[in-house]
Amino acid sequence: MPQRHIVYLHREHPGDMAQLPEYVKAGGYNGLMKALADMEPDDVLYQLHRSGVRGRGGAGFPMGRKASFLPKDSPRPAYVVCNADESEPGTFKDREIMEFNPFQLLEGIVLAGYAIGSNHGYIYIRGEYEHQARVLDRAIAQAYEGGYLGSGLLRSRFDFDITLYRGAGAYICGEETGLLDSLEGKRGQPRLKPPFPAVAGLYASPTLINNVETLTTVPVIVAKGADWYATLGTEKSTGTKVFSVSGHVMKPGNYEIVMGDTSLRELLYDICGGFRPGHDFKACWIGGSSVPVLTAEHVDTRLDYESCETAGTYLGSAGCIVMDDSGCIVRSSLRLAHFYRHESCGKCTPCREGTMWMEKVLQRIVDGEGRMEDLELLESIMGRISGRVLCALADGAVAPIESALRLFRDDFVHAVEHGSPAREPMAPMGA
Amino acid sequence: MTADEIRGHIDPIRDQFAEGRSLILPALKFAQTEKGYLDGADLEAVGEAVGLTTAYVESVATFYDRLYLQPTGRRVISVCINLSCMLRGCDELLSHLTGRLGLPSDGGSTDDGAFTVQQAQCLGYCDRAPCLQVDVGETQGPMSLDDADALIEALRAAPTPDRLWR
Ligand SMILES: Cc1cc2nc3c(=O)[nH]c(=O)nc-3n(C[C@H](O)[C@H](O)[C@H](O)COP(=O)(O)O)c2cc1C
Ligand code: SF4
Repeated sequence: MPQRHIVYLHREHPGDMAQLPEYVKAGGYNGLMKALADMEPDDVLYQLHRSGVRGRGGAGFPMGRKASFLPKDSPRPAYVVCNADESEPGTFKDREIMEFNPFQLLEGIVLAGYAIGSNHGYIYIRGEYEHQARVLDRAIAQAYEGGYLGSGLLRSRFDFDITLYRGAGAYICGEETGLLDSLEGKRGQPRLKPPFPAVAGLYASPTLINNVETLTTVPVIVAKGADWYATLGTEKSTGTKVFSVSGHVMKPGNYEIVMGDTSLRELLYDICGGFRPGHDFKACWIGGSSVPVLTAEHVDTRLDYESCETAGTYLGSAGCIVMDDSGCIVRSSLRLAHFYRHESCGKCTPCREGTMWMEKVLQRIVDGEGRMEDLELLESIMGRISGRVLCALADGAVAPIESALRLFRDDFVHAVEHGSPAREPMAPMGA
Repeated sequence: MTADEIRGHIDPIRDQFAEGRSLILPALKFAQTEKGYLDGADLEAVGEAVGLTTAYVESVATFYDRLYLQPTGRRVISVCINLSCMLRGCDELLSHLTGRLGLPSDGGSTDDGAFTVQQAQCLGYCDRAPCLQVDVGETQGPMSLDDADALIEALRAAPTPDRLWR
């Protein structure tokens, strides 16, 4: 149940790990030195496989497997792309890594590059994170000066460059192929898959794209070994995961825990200090907002991929948005519908039109102008979106609202009859 | 901004990309820092610097929330309205700010050209909800209504930045 730091090592180290000497002092770059001295690229790839580490950006795909999909005989250069777009509602874990432990991320990107035979990595960071981008700019410059990036790094024969690329405000640029199009200087709209990025990604070249947290795990896996890493967590959910907890808890924040060790109840009440006096848990969106909502019935769910699925949801990005019994599930659903309507890139009609209608109908209900038939109308609108679109944004729009309508039916019926209470008051609490 | 100034900004990073088109976002973001938004001449200059048509540049620019094709206030205040912030009172924060500045409740620009207030989607500072961001400065929160008042005063007293990064 205690917290355990693998990607948040800065929380244990007394010095400022955003400075290269402090990172090295904290054991940084041991993984890279070990790999360059004693390991073939395939050995690193094997360690990633064996560790079982899964993608932390949302989909949870095993990193080692994804890396092994890159063709070895391509005439084109291979690329590593780090997804630092972090725009999933309720998710703010990558922000802390980049700001306070940037070198571990850089080291992870270099190691990933070494494993797949790439010499160039890109970090695509959302434009709103300019503060973190400047920390990364400095860290990258220090890494070049120190010989941890560039040609013949650490006096080996391996060359690696990292380029930081700033986005300009678009949630869909977090979707991996939307990101690649944006990085190629196009509108950031998702591509038809296949081909997957592993085969034809950035500039139609083989590309490994991973989330910030995933890549930041890599140096630890290489330094301490996959077997050590896999002793943490469960069989299918190895290692640690950072949970970003927000909303109606007393102590919102980022908490890194060993997977499977902790229940949602322990996270909410023991780690995050529970709720305001007189209030209790009502609902949470555990994997960012693009997942089915959980109710009080689910508080004993253990925090790992498979337990979340058993509970009917997804661990996702682990951006856990929590609502107590003062909150209104209908208005929360409307707020999310508004978000997805705003962020739909418009390429697929079912997503563009469907998210627009979802917002419209929910708005009507919240305004007290809804009819009972609107609940069925909502269901039918949502039923016509899934499976007919290019990317997972649309499913992510449906999941929280379809589940809310199913699990909190009475609240929706009540809202149809009476509208929703006036807007959310300021709720200053915790620190 | 002129194509030469834009070239001065993107030439040093040109060789980091296999295709020159990737320079379009860095170019647009930089071109915007002169006035805080992009007009037709800026789009043309970006096109010239990157080697793309103005129409293409515009089609890319319209895709992104943080590229502005209409004039903005000298300082742009983005108030997060997504779920985590809503649960902690961002609606009240937004209406307080817009009310104080005499703007429509969903945001807009002040007549004196000092401020734009806009709704933002999740800014990634949900642990500090309700939060807001001024230009591309570090996002601030949790913001009380008093904090919001103090912020407006501080921004009014502060000189306009040389470059209006958005
Ligand atoms: C609409 C949408 C938005 C996404 N946003 C992000 C994001 O901000 N950050 C991220 O790492 N992954 C995001 N993803 C997931 C990526 O598509 C991709 O799965 C991920 O970058 C792969 O890295 P991982 O395997 O390390 O998780 C998003 C997916 C969708 C459909
Ligand atoms: S599903 Fe929606 S966001 Fe994704 S490509 Fe289609 S229209 Fe764009």
